Amino acid sequence: MRAMVIDDSRAMRMILKRIVTKLNFDAVEAGDGQEALDLLADMPEVPELALIDWNMPNMNGLEFVTNVRADPRLREMTLVMVTTESEQSQIVRALAAGAHEYVIKPFTEGAMIEKLALLGLVPTGANS
Amino acid sequence: MSVEVEVNENDLAEMVEQVWESYLDPEGINPLIPTYDENQPSEVHSSVSISGSWTGHIVYACSIEAARRAAAAFLAMEPDEVSQEDLSDVLGELANIVGGNVKAMLPPGAFLSLPQVVLAPESTARFPNTERISGVYGIWDGEPVSISMWHSRADNNQEDGA
Repeated sequence: MRAMVIDDSRAMRMILKRIVTKLNFDAVEAGDGQEALDLLADMPEVPELALIDWNMPNMNGLEFVTNVRADPRLREMTLVMVTTESEQSQIVRALAAGAHEYVIKPFTEGAMIEKLALLGLVPTGANS
Repeated sequence: MSVEVEVNENDLAEMVEQVWESYLDPEGINPLIPTYDENQPSEVHSSVSISGSWTGHIVYACSIEAARRAAAAFLAMEPDEVSQEDLSDVLGELANIVGGNVKAMLPPGAFLSLPQVVLAPESTARFPNTERISGVYGIWDGEPVSISMWHSRADNNQEDGA
């Protein structure tokens, strides 16, 4: 399985990459929504999962989610917002735009894995 | 127009504790020990600005050694492997995380900037026409770390600037 980690912070990308790698995903990184869309356009196989920050330069996470949902080729991707945007209204906006789940920073590794397990994305035998 | 808002030391301390638990001290063995010293020194700082329903800044300041250890903890590497880029990136993310959580406590209509990182003491970059309204000051692994919240006195902009 493949996961895309989209965050303008390299530090946060590394943390998320560490977690999904532990769960046996191959991780692909992007620094903003536009870079992620460009990478997806060149990928023969669409990743099963995207972990998406909200506040990023060029294209923010919400715009990325909207773009993905408008593209039939990317329909099967599970989209998880991972962000400091923790107001109820923002969570509702993201879910309405097509995100499947919402994780608020800061998060522990355990909490993230739990969330992915709820989405059925923690493979049997993964090191969780 | 900006509204008055109270985010007190306890609120900030709770957010800081979550950051430590999640990234800097997941084992719970090396917490930030409060010093309550607003004037403790710093060598580097990062900040995010909030605008809209409330205007101000969240500042994360610490020694270079504390920044290096934070980056090492975040990036799962040894402190002596940390580059300046790592250090800047992690400092920015720490301000972003605290700032985002502060924003959630503000009235609707507040907006968070992308983080700014300055490899110089916090005292070199005090934002003009602001006042400190809250802060957590402590020692982490023997090194100073502070997280403070500064409110822009926008209503005073037309005054004499004193």
